[in-house]
Amino acid sequence: MIKRLFGTKNGEDGGNGRTPSYQPTHLVDVDNVTKAYHTPAGDFIALDGLTLKVDPGEFVAVVGKSGSGKSTLINMITGIDRPTSGGVYIGETAVHELKEGPMAEWRGRNVGVIFQFFQLLPMLSCVENIMLPMDFCHVYDPDEREERALHLLELVDMSDQAYKLPSELSGGQQQRVAIARALANDPSILAADEPTGNLDSKTAVSIYDLFEELVDKGKTILMVTHDNDLASRVTRAITLADGKIVHEVKR
Amino acid sequence: MIRPRWRKVLRDLWGNKLRTTLVVLSIAIRVFAVGMIVGTQILLREDLSRVYGTTNPAHAFLSISPFDEEAIEIVRNVEGVAEADGRAEHTIPLQKEGDELGEIRLTVPADFADWRLQTVASISGKWPPDEQEILMERASVPYVNAAVGEMITVEDVDGRLRQLTIVGVAHDLFTQPVQFTNVPNGYITRDTAEWLGYGDKLSRMPLRIEGEDVTEEEIRAVIDRVKLKLEKAGYAYYGDWIPEPGEHPANEAVQPLLAILGILGLLSLFASAFLVINIINGLLAQHTTQIGIMKAIGARSSQVMGLYMASVLIFGLLSLLIAVPLGALAAYGLADFIAGFINFDLNGVRLIPQVVLLQTAVAILVPVLAALVPVLRGTAITVHQALSEQGLGAGHFGSSLIDRAMNWLTAVALRLSRPTRISLRNTIRRKARLLLTLITLTLGGAIFIGVLTVHESLLKTLDDALAYFAYDIDVEFKQAHRLEEIQRQVLAVPGVAAAESWIGASAVRLRPDGEEGDGFYLIGAPADTAVINPTLLDGRWLEPGDSNTIVLNSLVLKDEPDIQVGDVIMLEVDGREGEWRVVGLVQGVMTGGIGYVNQPYLARLLRFVDKADSVEIVAATTNPAAQRALEIRLRQHLEEAGMAVDSTGLISDVRGTIEYQFGLVVTLLAVMAVLVALVGGLGLTGTMSINVLERTREIGVMRAVGASDTAVQRIVMVEGALVGVISWFFAVLLAIPISRYLSNVVGNELLRSSLSYTFSFKGAFIWLVAVIIIGALASFWPAWNASRLSVRETLAYE
Repeated sequence: MIKRLFGTKNGEDGGNGRTPSYQPTHLVDVDNVTKAYHTPAGDFIALDGLTLKVDPGEFVAVVGKSGSGKSTLINMITGIDRPTSGGVYIGETAVHELKEGPMAEWRGRNVGVIFQFFQLLPMLSCVENIMLPMDFCHVYDPDEREERALHLLELVDMSDQAYKLPSELSGGQQQRVAIARALANDPSILAADEPTGNLDSKTAVSIYDLFEELVDKGKTILMVTHDNDLASRVTRAITLADGKIVHEVKR
Repeated sequence: MIRPRWRKVLRDLWGNKLRTTLVVLSIAIRVFAVGMIVGTQILLREDLSRVYGTTNPAHAFLSISPFDEEAIEIVRNVEGVAEADGRAEHTIPLQKEGDELGEIRLTVPADFADWRLQTVASISGKWPPDEQEILMERASVPYVNAAVGEMITVEDVDGRLRQLTIVGVAHDLFTQPVQFTNVPNGYITRDTAEWLGYGDKLSRMPLRIEGEDVTEEEIRAVIDRVKLKLEKAGYAYYGDWIPEPGEHPANEAVQPLLAILGILGLLSLFASAFLVINIINGLLAQHTTQIGIMKAIGARSSQVMGLYMASVLIFGLLSLLIAVPLGALAAYGLADFIAGFINFDLNGVRLIPQVVLLQTAVAILVPVLAALVPVLRGTAITVHQALSEQGLGAGHFGSSLIDRAMNWLTAVALRLSRPTRISLRNTIRRKARLLLTLITLTLGGAIFIGVLTVHESLLKTLDDALAYFAYDIDVEFKQAHRLEEIQRQVLAVPGVAAAESWIGASAVRLRPDGEEGDGFYLIGAPADTAVINPTLLDGRWLEPGDSNTIVLNSLVLKDEPDIQVGDVIMLEVDGREGEWRVVGLVQGVMTGGIGYVNQPYLARLLRFVDKADSVEIVAATTNPAAQRALEIRLRQHLEEAGMAVDSTGLISDVRGTIEYQFGLVVTLLAVMAVLVALVGGLGLTGTMSINVLERTREIGVMRAVGASDTAVQRIVMVEGALVGVISWFFAVLLAIPISRYLSNVVGNELLRSSLSYTFSFKGAFIWLVAVIIIGALASFWPAWNASRLSVRETLAYE
């Protein structure tokens, strides 16, 4: 099953931002990244010379207070935002050097993004939402895409809702579909920004169970969360304050 | 199978039916307007020249001493002549209802059965008519108070009453429309003409020369040969008239209409581009989050762009589906309305390729081009920006000087209620968006006010034109008579209040290059004339001591555009060449080209010292019927006094003609104003509704913090009305240059001079009311829609 789901990708890697001088040894390598925002109230330092390395198969929780830089860190890894200085390397790709267009395709193939508010496109059914990244990134044969999307829905236990619109689903169900969408192009990394922030605790637990299953199957997950109980279930929890890692627990 | 991304496009369109409908209708109404306007223009031009072509038009009309088939045969054999025909034309008295005396113009073809040039078509009844019978031109039938089968009464050469039976109806494209002239047209045989005392000979010879698209020079060359041949055969050659080759005479009246339509079409096109930019901008603002998500899951900017350009394309195609057939129908309706005035029939409703092409460009090319900038900008947004704008949409309020000024104004200076403050501040929050909406609204308003201004300027010009005639009856004598004798005889007729004697002559300008001009009429009037009030456009009027000075009316300049006040021009007057100094220019009032000269000088020049050949009479009554009776009494009295009268004319008839010519343009302008208001109003309502739709989520937030439905609606409607009022101000400013330009074009086409420009305050007021209603109503609908959604739904609204 796993082989079938994660082993048939027929597209090439979209990114090609490799820098010869730097030899990454980790899957995710956030190297001395600083991010400053210019606001009318003065410069705001979201990340302050932060370094983080993540290996394949890790389940990393990023915790911290509001404004500590958690979301900024995730955005650096997904390429949604760019560092002011420092470098972000995923596999052999220097993410911070990719231009916007190649970045989108690289992200589509290599990182599955999961949002707090699910962000499924309202006019597309669950299956179609999952097929969309394959469509954009030209991954998998067009005839196989629907079958694959259905399998992913099966994986997240949502196959019976496959042809419903997002508005017909509960929040937890929508987030399951959103996770399936993040898995669409079989990325090695899933990046989730408060994936359970908008869900009740029972549903949140089930989403965690799903994440653990995915980690067991070889995925690497980075997740921002507020929930300390849940954060204790991951393989590594890092705590941010003022843009720096102030605490780290490994299991 | 359709790919999911295209399914998204289709479902976006289908899912948000209100918005899709608004966008499609807003584009469609513009495309419709372009189709209607340009379609009308092309239909009129094409069908008029087509109908014109089927009648085998003549290239020239020769006036020859009485002739018959023999002369026609001679001319047909002249080298270069393709066809020759003959006819006679007589305008004779017609008895109208009661004692009223009118005129009827009778055309006598050489042979009804072998009518070769300038043909007239039988519509119903008998063809050809027998002796003492007449065919009526179809447009003239209502003007003779008799139906087919009934009789009309005319006067023959000797003034005896004769009756002609109407036996059929014909269509003649070449008559001056009876609505303009008030003189109905009929067709009789040569036998009937002889019976009426006019003889069976012909006097005019229509001529067609060989070749297509011939020039005036080629026509002239053939005429010269014809003239020689005819003179050799013993005929006297009186003159000729070469109409504009290939052009129907009514073109003169149609040209100003086409010019107006052309300008309106162009403005319409321009306004539609802004409308589309506005719509697409609104659409993209709503989709910011979705764009962010799609990019987050791997879509490139170019892919996202493709999706939105596809939406634009679909909007355009749907608009075309509606606008092409409706535009064609409306173009036919409008063209048919105008064709009715010119007495010709359109070829039926049809799709004109050029118009459909233009509409396609407007519906697809313009939206795609217009959407390019907003789509490029909207899709180039980074994921981070897109997702962080999830709150209440784009736009920043608070930092700029305008914002702070507005804050102070609304809160401190005006002490407005908080909801009204929201409206006012909201209005200027999205400045680019506001600017686009304002431009769109302003253009619509400016066109409307501009059209109404031209309308009022035309009416003012008409008033001016009618004020020109301070006399009521014109009497032309067959010979010149002594001034005192004329005054004595005329003033003896009861009902005559005043009289002024004139002398007339025809003048031909000898142009600096040696060519002869078309000629115009010279009026020798006293310098202190009391019976006309010409409007001076430039220079001065005549003074008592003036000798070879001349004041021209603007219609002379139509043929001689190089003449300026202060010039010395060469004129041939009654065979004598001489220099004349142009001292003034007055408004022409559809009487044709006229040069005014000092009466004593002209009389001396024509060897008519102390004599005159016409008298202009001011009647004691303004009643048209009483004036008509006075006209008859004058004729009788003068004939009895031994002063043979050549013709008499009532100025009220001339007024009718002028009013009608203006009426055509004025009516069209009024129709256009209503259409512009309707099209503009609907389009703008759509655009503004889309703007409010975009803010559904914002409305949700306001309600979430406790705003009642009515409060929300008030905020949105006040905002809409405010935008309307601001746009109105700019529309009024823009209307001034637009209407000045339109007036110049219309005036130039119609009168060879500018119109008496009168800004339409009425139009400005109507638009103010309209734009407030448009703004408020357009905002009300989506606001009301939004207020029916639950707060949760509005917050989730995409």
